[in-house]
Amino acid sequence: MRLVTRITVCLAAALAACAAPQRPVTPSLAVPPKDSALAIPTRLQVETRYVTLDNGLRVVMSREPSVPTVTVGVYYGIGFRIEPRNRTGFAHLFEHLMFQGSANAPKGAFDTLIYRSGGVNNGSTTFDYTNYYEIVPTNALEAVLWIEADRMARPVIDEAVLKNQQGVVGNEVKVNVLNQPYGSWPWIDLPMLANENWFNSHNFYGDLKEIEAATVSDSKEFFDKFYRPNNAVLVIAGDIEYEQTLAWVRQYFDVVPKGAAISFPDISEPRQTAEKFASRIDKLAPKPGYAVGYHVPPRGTAEWYAMGLLDQILLQGEDSRLYKKLVQEAGVTGSVSGGINLIGNMFDYNGPMLWALSFVHDTGRDPKELTALVDSVLEELRTNPVTQEELERARTKVRSGLYDLVDSGTRFGLIDLLAAYALFDNNPGGINDIELGFAKVTPQQMLATAQEYLRPSNRSVFIIEPGPVAVEAKTP
Amino acid sequence: MMLRSLFAALSLALLCSPAAAQAPLGTYPNQPAVGAPKPYAVPRTQNYTLPNGMQITLIPSGLAPKTTMTLAIAAGNLNDGTSTWLADLTGAMLKEGANGRSAGQLAQAAANMGGALDVGVGWGRTAISIAVLKENGPDAIALLADVARRPDFATDAFARIQQDKVRDLAVTLSQPQPLAVAVMARAVYGTAHPYGRVYPTEKQLKAFTIEDVKRFYSANFGAERAHLYIAGQFDAGTMRRAIEAAFDDWESGPARLILAPNAQLGPSFGRRVLLVDRPGAPQSTLQLAFAAPQAGTPGDIAFRVTDALLSGAFNSRITTNIREEKGYTYSPGSSIQQRPGDALWIFEADVTSDVTGKSLHEIFKEIKELQAVPPPRDEAAGMSTWLSGVFVLRHASPAGLIGELASRDALGLPASWLDSYIPSVLSVGAADIQASAKERLTLDSLILVVVGDLRTVTPQLKALPELRGAKFAVVKAE
Repeated sequence: MRLVTRITVCLAAALAACAAPQRPVTPSLAVPPKDSALAIPTRLQVETRYVTLDNGLRVVMSREPSVPTVTVGVYYGIGFRIEPRNRTGFAHLFEHLMFQGSANAPKGAFDTLIYRSGGVNNGSTTFDYTNYYEIVPTNALEAVLWIEADRMARPVIDEAVLKNQQGVVGNEVKVNVLNQPYGSWPWIDLPMLANENWFNSHNFYGDLKEIEAATVSDSKEFFDKFYRPNNAVLVIAGDIEYEQTLAWVRQYFDVVPKGAAISFPDISEPRQTAEKFASRIDKLAPKPGYAVGYHVPPRGTAEWYAMGLLDQILLQGEDSRLYKKLVQEAGVTGSVSGGINLIGNMFDYNGPMLWALSFVHDTGRDPKELTALVDSVLEELRTNPVTQEELERARTKVRSGLYDLVDSGTRFGLIDLLAAYALFDNNPGGINDIELGFAKVTPQQMLATAQEYLRPSNRSVFIIEPGPVAVEAKTP
Repeated sequence: MMLRSLFAALSLALLCSPAAAQAPLGTYPNQPAVGAPKPYAVPRTQNYTLPNGMQITLIPSGLAPKTTMTLAIAAGNLNDGTSTWLADLTGAMLKEGANGRSAGQLAQAAANMGGALDVGVGWGRTAISIAVLKENGPDAIALLADVARRPDFATDAFARIQQDKVRDLAVTLSQPQPLAVAVMARAVYGTAHPYGRVYPTEKQLKAFTIEDVKRFYSANFGAERAHLYIAGQFDAGTMRRAIEAAFDDWESGPARLILAPNAQLGPSFGRRVLLVDRPGAPQSTLQLAFAAPQAGTPGDIAFRVTDALLSGAFNSRITTNIREEKGYTYSPGSSIQQRPGDALWIFEADVTSDVTGKSLHEIFKEIKELQAVPPPRDEAAGMSTWLSGVFVLRHASPAGLIGELASRDALGLPASWLDSYIPSVLSVGAADIQASAKERLTLDSLILVVVGDLRTVTPQLKALPELRGAKFAVVKAE
């Protein structure tokens, strides 16, 4: 029998949250006075409470009551990067299994609770975390915490649900990759090409055969190793009262047993020193595609902030240099897309990452010509410092984008950011310093970062060639 | 041997780290009750009309110091006539230079404000949108006015935009879902109405000239057709002055076009099955359609709950059946597509090819079951509650508010519509749902489109009793 103990957690952060009397409503996004030294006209200020339970579960709360809903996210520190070898796609398959019922909430009960309360829910698997989240009316918060805790403690994973979800995930891969032109390009193809370390370079959506080979015992092993409270963050944002919310969190999550400490594998990548190139024929694609990726500086460093601004200048928006060159001047394509982390954003990952861009173009363009075109734009940034005006515009875009991220109807952007900073940095309040990080970047740092990270020997080019059955546009 | 050693490893793991199966079930409390939701009201709006007919809606809302705005002009694919996508070309050309500022200068001005110009063209409107840091609200109004009122329509930019559209068309039509959409639209609306012509031919697209774009613009853009929505944080007085300065002297222009389609739906058209071959496809892309109640008419709200319960919500019957029980598909779902004088219910799913027939069998079974037996009260009430909750979520951001208000206005629904929505949805009962399913989802008038590997799929379809005697047609891609 397992010994259940309830020990009151009274860490400093917890005390601050427990002891505070009824607080006045603080707007999540305040506008402090101008910081003349750094010239930040407005600053993102999100109020947070941060508590770590005895079992290691990190709990982030943020009150913002403008709409009577609450967004709850449970983030586990396990992404597809470190899924088991010979089980590609397993981290994602397992995400599906976590929706299949728990000891006190049989299959279907989770979705029934959320939907019949008037909410929505989902989950996703990314490089370095797997998340589960719900957006529900305020009145459903306690029940949601109850059911998330039950799932964290006691999911029910048997042959029946495994077989069912192998079918669902197989269909997911078919609809998104196998029956789609371009399919895995570039979001899976580029990391597989650019990275050397298996953890970063395997097919993370999964080989269908390996997805189908997964067993119930694989699942139990994976759960026991990674799905423990000490490897998780619980974020609760929206129309909440801190004390009541924390009391519920303790009531339902304190009893979830702590797992053994996890030793994470080495996911580092060597410095790339020679250009890489790959191509494949896509028989469903009617036009060629060009994609290129570059390894970026480690997350959180000064160079990483500079890279974020380089991304703004080069690629984000129709004022960007690559858009002007490729779309407006050369007329190669109608749009260029990309950024840092193609399946998330530049804040919500924790390991080697690419800055990548891709576009579809007409036949008759030599990939070498396209590389030269892209390179001509990058070389300008490797040669001349950016002007203060362009740098300020990049910062304005970042700031505006951050506001969009945290001010959406679902608050998903906000909980995702808070979870990432809690999970990877043990500092959810760090999201309030993101703007400062960008504000400190100088034109000289931009130049140095471009020289190291946008050099030709750091790039990987992945080309799509239209297949033999590709045809010109036809209209039904 | 392999199996045995795996089990051994597993039990060892359980011993070392007490987890999953060993938690004390008896001590975990019962599920806490979910009480009544807090009351919710859509944020109030300020509405007025300029002397030239342009309508303005201001919606103070939002947390971030940003102002979000959409200028919706009733000029969309409905106005294409037979020139399919001329509205799209015109919309794309708006950003390519205006009032002497080049495309690059327009984009740069938008970026300096913390925003990006977006032009979206739909069936009924061209929407020019931008979300900027709030101190730039008035400048953004002026930018929208330039783009909407003073486009340069330069010939060299047009050649490039046209080529981009040709490329986009090819890529779009290489995907099975847009093919299904196009075939369904043609079957429902016929080729005489713009709704039946979702995509142009490449030849048609290449034949348009900048003169066609200018003609489309003159015939369809003007203050009488314009509605500016502004949501987020802003000073209303400042914005009103900026709007006046930017739009007061815009010519009224043409009146809005009303052109309801004559949908080819109902028992007199019989059951139709349209097939598009995609040799070797691992999945069949399905679209199943029936006529739906038009927005704001009797039966509209009840049918929305029926849709949610049958296949619109994730915990709906069809999704539970063919995804969560059978594993035939990943993303089944349905929705009601409402336009003025028109409404269509469409179910969509991509199912593994060799279970195409089985999937449809289950879909038909669920429809018939709902028609035969009213849903349990919990299930019915749960779906109404879900729609109420989603209504709140849809209105919970400035962009969401604008989208919902603009849809309401485009459908000609009264201002009170948003206030009455939640009570109306909550008043729908189990019997209403059953009646709605019986009245609307009449299997003898279904239209089914399947894009897939016909060699595998056709025999499965022909074997379905519900499709016996249906009119089958294999549709060529052109």
